[in-house]
Amino acid sequence: MIAFTLRRLLLLLPVFFVVSLVVFFIIHLVPGDPIDNLMRAGSTPEQRLQIAAKYGLDRSLVEQYLTWMGRLLTGDLGTSIIQGRPVSTLIAHNMPYSLQLGIAALLFSTLTGIAAGVIAASYQGTRVDDAITGFILLGSTVPSFWLGLLLILVFAVWLGWVPVSGARGWTSLILPVIAAGLGGIALVARVTRIAMIETARQDFVVLLHAKGLPPFLIQLRHVLRHAMVPVVTILGLRIGWVLGGAVTIEYVFARPGLGSLLIRALNQRDYPLVQGCLLMLAMAVIVGALIGDIVQAAMDPRQREARS
Amino acid sequence: MLLTVDMLRIRFGAFSPVDQVTLGVDRGEILGVVGESGSGKSLTATAIMGLLPRIGGQVAGGSIRFDGTDLVDLPESQMRRLRGGRIALITQNPMTSLDPMMRIGPQIDQAARLHLGLGRSAARARSLDLMADLRIPDPASVYDLFPHQLSGGMKQRIVIAMALAGDPELLIADEPTTALDVTVQAQIVQILVDLVRQRGLGLILITHDMGVVAQACDRVAVMYCGRVVELARVDALFEHPRHPYTQALIRCIPRNGMARGTMTAIPGMVPTGMTQPPGCRFNPRCARVESRCRVDIPELLVGPSGNGVACHLAEAA
Ligand SMILES: Nc1ncnc2c1ncn2[C@@H]1O[C@H](COP(=O)(O)OP(=O)(O)OP(=O)(O)O)[C@@H](O)[C@H]1O
Ligand code: SF4
Ligand SMILES: [Mg+2]
Repeated sequence: MIAFTLRRLLLLLPVFFVVSLVVFFIIHLVPGDPIDNLMRAGSTPEQRLQIAAKYGLDRSLVEQYLTWMGRLLTGDLGTSIIQGRPVSTLIAHNMPYSLQLGIAALLFSTLTGIAAGVIAASYQGTRVDDAITGFILLGSTVPSFWLGLLLILVFAVWLGWVPVSGARGWTSLILPVIAAGLGGIALVARVTRIAMIETARQDFVVLLHAKGLPPFLIQLRHVLRHAMVPVVTILGLRIGWVLGGAVTIEYVFARPGLGSLLIRALNQRDYPLVQGCLLMLAMAVIVGALIGDIVQAAMDPRQREARS
Repeated sequence: MLLTVDMLRIRFGAFSPVDQVTLGVDRGEILGVVGESGSGKSLTATAIMGLLPRIGGQVAGGSIRFDGTDLVDLPESQMRRLRGGRIALITQNPMTSLDPMMRIGPQIDQAARLHLGLGRSAARARSLDLMADLRIPDPASVYDLFPHQLSGGMKQRIVIAMALAGDPELLIADEPTTALDVTVQAQIVQILVDLVRQRGLGLILITHDMGVVAQACDRVAVMYCGRVVELARVDALFEHPRHPYTQALIRCIPRNGMARGTMTAIPGMVPTGMTQPPGCRFNPRCARVESRCRVDIPELLVGPSGNGVACHLAEAA
C-alpha cells in the first residue's frame, strides 16, 4: 500500500511537467497579448517594445517557458502583468472563496447524492425510485449557470430571501452551492444507485438475507460499503473541482474566487496569472484523482493486498 | 415431519416455473433433491427461505409447513426470525457467498448475535468452536482473515459455519459442492452428513450428482420442469425407479461406480419457460408416452410409506 502510494506520487512528476507545458502554451494560442491591455490610447511603438522587453515577451516562446519553469521550480509563479502583484498573492487572496464554495458544494452534493442513491436503490422500481431517477436525469442535463440564473431570479430577485450576488455572509453561499452542486448530486446519486442495485444482486447479499438480518442493516452496513468504491473514484475526480469546478457559478453570482480571477486574467491576456491559475486548477484535479485512487485501494481488502 | 412442502406453486408474474412441488424432511434425515438444470430446485429452496419476494417472485399456491407453522402466510417479521435462526441456507458458490470486504469471523458471528442474542465475545467464542468442529485449522487466525485469503473448500466450510451459527434445525444446501475440487467435494459432503447424524438436523441437499445422492441421502425428490415427479427412499429409488425420468437418470450414471452423475444424456431437450407441453411435461422425451400423457397432468400420489410418483403408468402399476 505504501509502495503503491509512493509509486503514484512519483508519477506526479512527469504529469506535472506535461501539465506545465500545456498550461503555458495554450494561452499563447489565443490571439492578442497583455500589452494591448496595458497601453493607453496614443502610445508609441517604442513604448510597446519597452513594455514587451520589461516582461520578457520579446523573447522566443521556448525561452519564456524555460524562464517560467525555472522560477516555478523555486516556487515563484511570477508577477501579474496587469495588476503588478505576485501571482501567488493573488491566488492566495482568491483561493479561500473558491474553497468555501467548492467544499460546501462537494459536501452538499456528495451527501445528498449518496442519500438519494440509497433511497432510490432501496425502493427500486417504485415511484420513489422513478422520482429520484427523473431528478437525476434533469440534474445531469440542466447547465449549472442556467440553474444559477434561475435561482437568482426566483429566490433573490422575486422572493428576496438571499443576496443576489457577492460573498458576504453565509446566506450568499446558499444559491451558488445549490447551483454548483446539482450536477454532482445527480452524478453521485446515479453511481450510488447503480452500484447498490448491482451489489444487492450478488450471492453474498442473498446469504445475508438468509441470515435474517434486517434489510436496512444489510443495505447500510454491507451493500452501501461496496457501492462506495465507485463513488470514491468519482469523488476523487471531483475533489479537484472543489477549486475550479464552480468557475461559471462564481461568474454568474459575481463572487470573488479563482474562477473569477482566471476569467479576468484570460480577458486581459495576463499570461503569468492565467498560467498560475490553470496550473493550480490542473494540479488540484490530478492530486484529487490520486487521493481517490489511494482511498479506493485502501477500502478494498483485495486491492490492499494486490497493491502492497 | 420437520418440513412439509405440499403442492407448492411459484409465480413470477404470469409465469410459473414451479407448480407441483411436494416433499418433506424430518429431523436427522437427509433429503436429496435432484433434477436437471432449470427444474426449479433453487426456487424451491428460495421459497422455503421466504426470499422469493426479493427476486420478484411469490408463492401462488400450496403450503410450506415448518414444525407446524405455515410459512406461506407468515408475516415477514416472524419469517426473519426463522431465517438464519431455525432454517439456514448454504449456497452453491463459496467464492461469492461471503462479503469480500468483511473479515471472516464477524460474518459467522452475525447469526448468533441476531438469533441467540449473544454478545460480541460470546459470539466469537461460538464461531471459533464451530470452526474447530468443521476442522478448520487455526480458527483464531482464520477468524481475522478476509475471504479472498482462503481456498474454495475453506470458504465453503466458513459458509457452513455461518449457517450453523444461529443453531438451525433445518439446513438447505443448494449444490454445496458444485464449485469445488472433486477431493474437497467429498469432504464437504461428509461434514454435512456428520452434522445431520450428530446434531439431528434436517438437511435438504440439492445436487446434480447421483453419486452424492447414493452416498449421503436417506430419501430423494426427483424434479422435472418445476414438478416433483418421484419421491422415494434412496435404496428403492436406485433399485426400482418408478418414473420413466428417474429410470433414464439412473441409466445415465456411469457404470464404473457412482462418482460423477451426469444428467445430460437423456435424449431430447428440457422444455423451458413458457413452452411447457400440456399434460405430463416429460412426454416429449418419454419412451412410454401414451395419448392421455399429452392431456392430463399426472398427480404425485404419495403413499403411506412416503414414496410417490407422478406418472400415469405408475398409477396403474
Ligand atoms: N428470478 C427469476 N425470475 C423469473 N424466472 C426465474 C427466476 N429464477 C429462476 N427462474 C426460472 O425458474 C426456472 C428454475 O430455476 P432454478 O434456479 O430453480 O433451477 P435449478 O433447478 O436450481 O437449476 P440449476 O441446477 O441450474 O441450479 C428456471 O428455468 C428459470 O427460467
Ligand atoms: S405420464 Fe406418460 S409421459 Fe409422463 S412419464 Fe409417465 S408415461 Fe411418460
Ligand atoms: Mg439452482
